[in-house]
Amino acid sequence: MTTLVSRWTLRVSVLVAAIIVLVFSGLSRSAIGQAPVPFRTPPPGSPPAKIRPYGQFAGCSEEPALFHRCAMEKAKTFVPPRTPDGKPDFQGYWGRIGIRNLENIEEHPESLDGSGGRSSIVDPPDGRIPYQPWAAAKRDAHFEKYLDAGQYCLPDGAPRFAWGATKFVVQTPGYVFMLNDYADTYRIIPTDGRPHLGPDIRLWQGDLRGRWEGNTLVIDATNQLAETTLDHIGNFISPDAKVVERATMIDKDVIYYTATIEDAKVFTRPWTVAFGWRRNPNPKYESWEQGCWEGVQSSLKYTDEGRKRSRGAFEK
Amino acid sequence: MTSRAARSSIVIVVVVLLGAAWLSMNRVPAQTPATAAGSLPRMADGKPDLSGIWQVLNAAAWNIQDHQASKGVPAGQGVVEGNEIPYLPMALAQRNENFKNRLTADPETKCFQPGVPRMMYMPYPFQIIQTPTYIGLLFEYVHTTRHIRMNSEHPEGPIEWALGDTRARWEGDTLVTDVIHFNDDTWFDRAGNFHSEQLHLVERFTMLDRDHLNYEVTVEDPKVFSRPWKMSMPFYRRIEKNIQILDYECQSFDS
Repeated sequence: MTTLVSRWTLRVSVLVAAIIVLVFSGLSRSAIGQAPVPFRTPPPGSPPAKIRPYGQFAGCSEEPALFHRCAMEKAKTFVPPRTPDGKPDFQGYWGRIGIRNLENIEEHPESLDGSGGRSSIVDPPDGRIPYQPWAAAKRDAHFEKYLDAGQYCLPDGAPRFAWGATKFVVQTPGYVFMLNDYADTYRIIPTDGRPHLGPDIRLWQGDLRGRWEGNTLVIDATNQLAETTLDHIGNFISPDAKVVERATMIDKDVIYYTATIEDAKVFTRPWTVAFGWRRNPNPKYESWEQGCWEGVQSSLKYTDEGRKRSRGAFEK
Repeated sequence: MTSRAARSSIVIVVVVLLGAAWLSMNRVPAQTPATAAGSLPRMADGKPDLSGIWQVLNAAAWNIQDHQASKGVPAGQGVVEGNEIPYLPMALAQRNENFKNRLTADPETKCFQPGVPRMMYMPYPFQIIQTPTYIGLLFEYVHTTRHIRMNSEHPEGPIEWALGDTRARWEGDTLVTDVIHFNDDTWFDRAGNFHSEQLHLVERFTMLDRDHLNYEVTVEDPKVFSRPWKMSMPFYRRIEKNIQILDYECQSFDS
C-alpha cells in the first residue's frame, strides 16, 4: 500500500516537475522578449501617466509644455548678463530641467527607474515623435536589444548632449564651449560664421556652428557620424538629421532651450523638444574626471560579451 | 666742491653701468626660453593669451628618449633633459619588461586616456580655452578634457585620476601648474616609461611668440625615480584657415 502511494506520489511529482520545467522554460523565454518596459509611452488615448509633480523654476512650471509657453514670454523681456564682448553670458555649471530623467523624452509613468514625465515634445502638439512606421519599430527594437552608444562612453550627439549630464559653459570671443560631466566630453561651437565641414567628415557630436540671434544662441548641427539615441528607451535620429538648438536666458539662473529636428529619412515632419537648464546652486562645484571608458573596461565580462552586443550601437 | 662731487658721482654711475653690462653679457642664460614679451597676444587681464589650437611636432608619444625608427614609429630626438630617466633599480626592470610587452601592455592600446603628460604630446591637436579663473584643454585624441583651475587648492585625496588634478598660477608670463592625484594606469610613452600613483608634476607653459608655446614639465615620483627629472618641447599653433578639432573616438574602432 505504502509503496503504491509513494509510487503514485513519485509519478505525480515527476509530472508536476516536468510541467513546471516546460512551462517556466517556455515562459521565461517569451517573457524576456516581451518584458514590459516600465517607462514606455502609453498608447494614444490613454489617461495622463502617473508622475511625480513638477517643480518651479524662474516662476515657470518645469512641466515641458508649460515651461515652453512661460519661458517664451519671459525670453522676450529678460535682459541677460553680458560677456566683455557683449554676448549673453551663459558661463557656469548647468543641469537640465523639464527632461527630468533620461528614460524617455515622450510621456511616461513614474517607475523604479525615475520620476516619470510629460512629453518634452512641444511640436507636434500631441507630444509624440512623428516616426515613419519602420522607424517606430526600430525604436522599439533598440530598447529590447539595449543599444545605446552611451554604453561605449561615446560622446552624445546633438541634441542629446544638450539635455545630458551637467554642462560647464565657457565663452571666449568667437566661441561657446560646453564641457560635459559625462565621459569628460566637450562641444566646441564656433560663432565666427565659418562654413560647415565638407560632407566627408563626420563627427560623433556633429559639426556645430553657432550664431547669436538677439539674446538667443542658435546652434546648427550637421555631419553627425552615427544614429544618435535620444534617451534610454531608444528614440533616435539618423546621421543626416539637421538639428537646430536654441538657448535663451530667461533668468540669471535659468536657460530656456529647444531643439528642432528635421530628418526626412526617419520622421514624417520636423519636430521640437523644449526643456531647460538651471544653474548649479553650489558655487564650489567643479567637473571632475569620470574615466567612463576605463570603468567600462574594468569589467571584462561586460566588454567580451558587450562588445559584440553593443556593436549594434554603431550600425548605420 | 659741488662740481667735483658731481664729477665723481658720474664716474661711479659709469663704472656701475659698465659692470652691470659686463655681468649681464657673461650671465648664464635664463632657464625660461627667451620670449618676445611685447608681441605676445594678451588677455584683458594682461596675461598671455594661450588660447588656440596647438600640437607637438615630435615622436615623444612613441618614446620620450632618443630612439631609432622602427616600423610605424618615427625616429626621434628625446625630450628628456640629459636623455636620462633616473629609475630606481626595480622600476628600471619594470620599464624593460613594459618595453618588451609594449604592444599589448601599454594602457593606451586599450583606448584609455593617455594621462598627463603624455596627452600633451600625442600627435593630435588640442585646443586651449582661457579665462582668468579657468583654463581648459580640449583634446582631439579620445575626446577628453583637462581642467586647469587657477589659484585654488587641490581637493583632498586620496584620489586617483588618469589626468590628475591641476591647479595653476601665473609666474610673470609663465603659467605654472601643480598636478597630483594620479592613478598608475598611464605611461609616459609607447616605450614603457611609467610612473606610480605618487606622480607629481610641475609644468611651465611659456609663450615664445604668437605661434609657439614652450612646454616644460618636471616629473617627481619617489616610488619610481631616484630624483626629479625634466622634459621640454614646443607646441606649435595650427594656423590653417578654419582649423577645428575633429574626432578620434578610439573605442569606436574595431580592435
